[in-house]
Amino acid sequence: MPALWLFIAAFGASALGGTLGMASGIFIVPLLTLFFGIDIHAAIGASLISVIACSCGSAAPFLEGRLTNVRLAILLETATTLGAVAGVLMIGRISTAFLFGLFAVILAVSARQMLSRRQEVVDWSAANVKSWATALRLHSSFRDRASGGSVAYQVHRVPLGLGLMFGAGLISALLGIGSGVLKIPAMDTALRLPIKVSSATSNFMIGVTAAASAGAYFVRGDIDIRIAGPVALGSVVGALLGARVLIGLPAAKLRVFFVIILTLLAVEMLLNAFGIRILGCAA
Amino acid sequence: MRGMKPELDDASRRDRIIAALLRRGTWCASFLIAAGMLWSMAWPSVAVRAGLDGYGLMRGGVALFILLPVARVAVMLAVFVRERDRAYTLISALVLAVIATGLAIGLLL
Repeated sequence: MPALWLFIAAFGASALGGTLGMASGIFIVPLLTLFFGIDIHAAIGASLISVIACSCGSAAPFLEGRLTNVRLAILLETATTLGAVAGVLMIGRISTAFLFGLFAVILAVSARQMLSRRQEVVDWSAANVKSWATALRLHSSFRDRASGGSVAYQVHRVPLGLGLMFGAGLISALLGIGSGVLKIPAMDTALRLPIKVSSATSNFMIGVTAAASAGAYFVRGDIDIRIAGPVALGSVVGALLGARVLIGLPAAKLRVFFVIILTLLAVEMLLNAFGIRILGCAA
Repeated sequence: MRGMKPELDDASRRDRIIAALLRRGTWCASFLIAAGMLWSMAWPSVAVRAGLDGYGLMRGGVALFILLPVARVAVMLAVFVRERDRAYTLISALVLAVIATGLAIGLLL
């Protein structure tokens, strides 16, 4: 019963990823191509659906907690969706080997990111009165649970943020990932958002970004429902239940475990780019 | 409390509407996919009528997941129109236009 195995694999990836606040998207494509022998384009389509499902399924608490900066999200979504549409135009012209290679690079970058903890680089300097962020009323505040008070923050360097988001949208459409790996640093270092706001807003945007490319692949008939359905369901259930079940696992050891897994997958995807298969079936 | 902090109240009302949409939509889409999977496993070749079988339900669930974020942008557009917020009306309309362009590319190219 392959559908059940797909469900279980996606559930496991999502549950484990969720313990470290990671999106499972980055594991889905390697899992499907390396272990299930699924064509990379079908894997990308299925992964996009699971990315949308996880983004939509986890958005509500962040919105109700007023952590998501909705105005900033919709503004940046103009860039991420444009990037996604550019990806849709490009994917037919890109070789499978290149996609595997690019995926290997993204996995390696994720492993590197996992090693270094995110630094809070909030810039408290008053924003330029003439800046985009001021004109578009992007500065906001969130309620800090620890202190119970309201923390105001400023948004910086919006044009740079938009540029980086275009790239994130492009990578998302090409590889079927949420590109959180690119979005979060863009939001931390370019826009200088508090980490909680950055995570919530990035997660919120991922759904629309992935829907822009997934919609195009869906109407083109490039999404294999028998793969995408079970994978999306497994991911969303894993994200909701997994984080609760696995909450007691030691975060430091998990972090090392993930770095190893990400590195191994990067090597394996790179080998695939050169046509060398070690794992999985050659179906 | 009316008139106290109209902007904040509007924003939190908007965020609660979007949260409810995404939460319910995720439940519906997940339910459709789960039902479709169970149906396909239990009665692989049974269809009530053309299109209404396990595969059809799963396909509906997947389509609903793709529509959900787009519906969220549409709701935001409606809220911004009501608030007479011209800049953000334009921005949300632009996002919808980009998504529509993607669909057109998928259909035509």
